[in-house]
Amino acid sequence: MTAATLRRVGLGGITGNPIAFAVVLAIMAVLLAVPLAHNGYVEIIFRNILMYAAMSYGWNLIGGYTGYVSFGNVVFFGLGAYCSALLGAHGVNNLFADVAVACVVNAAFAALVGLPVLRLRGHYFGIATLGIALAVADIVANLDAFGGTGGLALKQVDQAHFSLYYYAMWLVALGAMLATYAIARSKLGYAFVAIRENEEAAAVLGIAATRYKVTAWAISAAFAGAAGAVFAPANGFLDPSIAFSIDSNVFPIVMAILGGIGTVAGPFIGALLLAGLNEILQRTFLKIHTLFFGAIIVLVVLLLPRGLVWLFGLRGGARTWLKSLAGYRA
Amino acid sequence: MSGVLAIDGIGMRFGGLWALTDVSFEVEPGSVVGLIGPNGSGKTTLMNVISGVYKPTTGEVRYAGTRIADVPTHRVCRLGIARTFQVVKPFANLTVRENVAVGAMYGREGTRRSTRASFERADELLEVVALTRVAGRAASDLTIPDRKRLEVAKALALDPEILLLDEVMAGLNATEVDEALELLRTVNARGVTLIVVEHLMKAIVSISTTIVVLAEGKKIAQGAPSDVLASPLVIEAYLGSRWVKRQEQLALIASEREEALRVQPPEAHA
Amino acid sequence: MHLIAQDLVNGILAGGILGLVALGFSLVWGIMNIINLAYGAFIMLGAYVTYQLFTSFHLDPFLSIPISFAALFVLGYLLGRYVINWVARAPVLTTFLLTFGLSLLLVNIALLVWTSDTVGVTTAYSGANFTLDGVTIPWTKLFTLIAALAITGVMQVWLTRSKMGRAIRATAMDIGAAQLSGVRVAQIYAIVFGLGAGLAGVAGTLLSLSYSINPSMGDPFLIKAFVVCVLGGLGSVEGALVGGLTYGIVESFATQLDVTIGSQHISGSGLQDAVALIVLLVVLIVRPRGIMGKATA
Repeated sequence: MTAATLRRVGLGGITGNPIAFAVVLAIMAVLLAVPLAHNGYVEIIFRNILMYAAMSYGWNLIGGYTGYVSFGNVVFFGLGAYCSALLGAHGVNNLFADVAVACVVNAAFAALVGLPVLRLRGHYFGIATLGIALAVADIVANLDAFGGTGGLALKQVDQAHFSLYYYAMWLVALGAMLATYAIARSKLGYAFVAIRENEEAAAVLGIAATRYKVTAWAISAAFAGAAGAVFAPANGFLDPSIAFSIDSNVFPIVMAILGGIGTVAGPFIGALLLAGLNEILQRTFLKIHTLFFGAIIVLVVLLLPRGLVWLFGLRGGARTWLKSLAGYRA
Repeated sequence: MSGVLAIDGIGMRFGGLWALTDVSFEVEPGSVVGLIGPNGSGKTTLMNVISGVYKPTTGEVRYAGTRIADVPTHRVCRLGIARTFQVVKPFANLTVRENVAVGAMYGREGTRRSTRASFERADELLEVVALTRVAGRAASDLTIPDRKRLEVAKALALDPEILLLDEVMAGLNATEVDEALELLRTVNARGVTLIVVEHLMKAIVSISTTIVVLAEGKKIAQGAPSDVLASPLVIEAYLGSRWVKRQEQLALIASEREEALRVQPPEAHA
Repeated sequence: MHLIAQDLVNGILAGGILGLVALGFSLVWGIMNIINLAYGAFIMLGAYVTYQLFTSFHLDPFLSIPISFAALFVLGYLLGRYVINWVARAPVLTTFLLTFGLSLLLVNIALLVWTSDTVGVTTAYSGANFTLDGVTIPWTKLFTLIAALAITGVMQVWLTRSKMGRAIRATAMDIGAAQLSGVRVAQIYAIVFGLGAGLAGVAGTLLSLSYSINPSMGDPFLIKAFVVCVLGGLGSVEGALVGGLTYGIVESFATQLDVTIGSQHISGSGLQDAVALIVLLVVLIVRPRGIMGKATA
């Protein structure tokens, strides 16, 4: 992949295209109006989009900005969901408390596990995180306190204040988005990116890599955990297969890629498009929608390796894009 | 905080091989030390030890009252020591400006700088190394000489007191070498001590105040450039003992012939 | 005493197959530097090929080994040539996601064709076993172990002696030099990917004799394949085998765990993934190159 091509694809600048970000904020503003339609089904769809967006921002921070490709971030979502579930089982039904606890627990867990695991690179890190997710799912399924495989039923979904869950999820997504923006504009963001580009060179320039990697993962865990914490009471029921589902693991990654890794607008755009597409597919082809999803993943990876936000910054049109595709050939 | 950089009895062993044996010298603040020696003499290894990349097997490097080996990699720049790498390591997907700014953000003065101040510092340094015209380009887009300048700029962004330059001029043509030398002189004039590893004799001689010569891991000479280069030990190290012996033999033959001619001056045949 | 011996034997019997599973995975990883997340799906397809041949043509599972190898080799070769080669030098994320997407595709195609019903291959000799010194050994598992060892042996010989095998190993060592010697890297990659798939297919066939078959049966084996490769050391046939046997034994003992803490009862059998993860982390921290791996310079 020649540098010249990459430059034309719009690389550099760690927030990404500012116009894209403005568009995203505008869409977020519009999304505030969804509950006014009084359509529960539509509300759930958009609530899921916001949920995936938050998770995607989380993954984007550790995978996109810091370059540590985690294949197990679902563990934070699941743990966050179980935080809410357990709090609910003990009589605490406050969304703020749920989110706060989920953030703290997940950040701590990420920091703890991150210290040994973030020493691994590339493939090893990816599979180790996948292993962590699977192992935690196993353990949770085996612990009675978590309701085992039967799951936990939370307090009846508060129908009267149903839209509260929507606004809560909206706030979580907005928080993740704005936090990413703030980070990308600050020294912290540059530390992350420096680590991604060349960890040894970053250390020579004074960046304590371990500290920053762990920070990135802890923040990313908090985003996913917060999303999970709002999801659980909104869903009314939780079991390991829902909390640690493959969808919740992989969707955020594909969304970040589709929208544009390492940008501020990318995860939201990816979430909007992909979750929307998923809805349509599910309604049209109930039986084989996962099949189409697999095909979409393959196509996105092959055709849009840098995502849509980068594509919009593209100068040189189709030919440059086609040339950039051949860059990784054997 | 400037002081003397003390390299004291440094030995470095890799497996069964001693790459460095008992190397000692001191670097005065403000000087330019040229580190030379034939290939494989241990110059880059020594640079790695001084900059803290390797921990020496024996001996220590001391600066500002601290042993370098005791300091983790990311803290070395806080001591005031910066280096460039032979194989340049730019942040490929960041612009030239951003590359230098990262150094300014996290280097010795970094904690006191905001993001904006770091970028301003980066702009200043790009002026010094004459890279302002490509400030907005991706680092991976640069030519080799420009990449070397970027390496220097990034190192300078750390506000170093001592700058280690490892073969900064490799791959440059004659004009580019002169420009690089100018740059180094400018940097030195700003008060930065330089330790330069180079193969180009002319370059090293023109810029160094002191020269240290390594051969097979040992220091064999140290002193002013003219003295060191005339030293037979140094010549032997570069050209080999057989060459030196041959030269001596040739000199002997020449002087014997002279003797013979003097004893028996050529006579016109009677 | 009895119990330990039985666990040990069970571990060895399972380990041979794990070694074979890991071998195909290790080939693709070691030579192309690609972690194939669709590997579990290949195993599953191999099992289904055997199942289909068994139910439709009453073909003995052991006899279907060459067929499942061939079928999966072709699939793997085509995928390698026309899909994987496009991203052969791409970063981890790209290959992870691509192979994951392929996995989704393959699993869902299997779901369409065979539905999610769990099926099995039960031959006349399925339940037969013999006892040696108080330890029960099922015949099928013993033959499976022998078959796995045999195939591993064949692969080892082929990789070291044949022209293609040497070309493959040359590519793994130094692509540039291999290319200069006339090796067509893209072709080699396609063949290696096909080989990996073929070996997975054979593993699936052998597994079908002892495990139940359904479209998602391959998933647990993916993680185990990875851990076995890390444990045994990447890049060698012996590594895969030694890693497989070791892991088989460890898992066999670990899943016997049965403790009660307070009111919480923990049984090892449901914690296979946790076992895999712990082994992985221990190896990576204590001896990253694995049991048989060579230390990198």
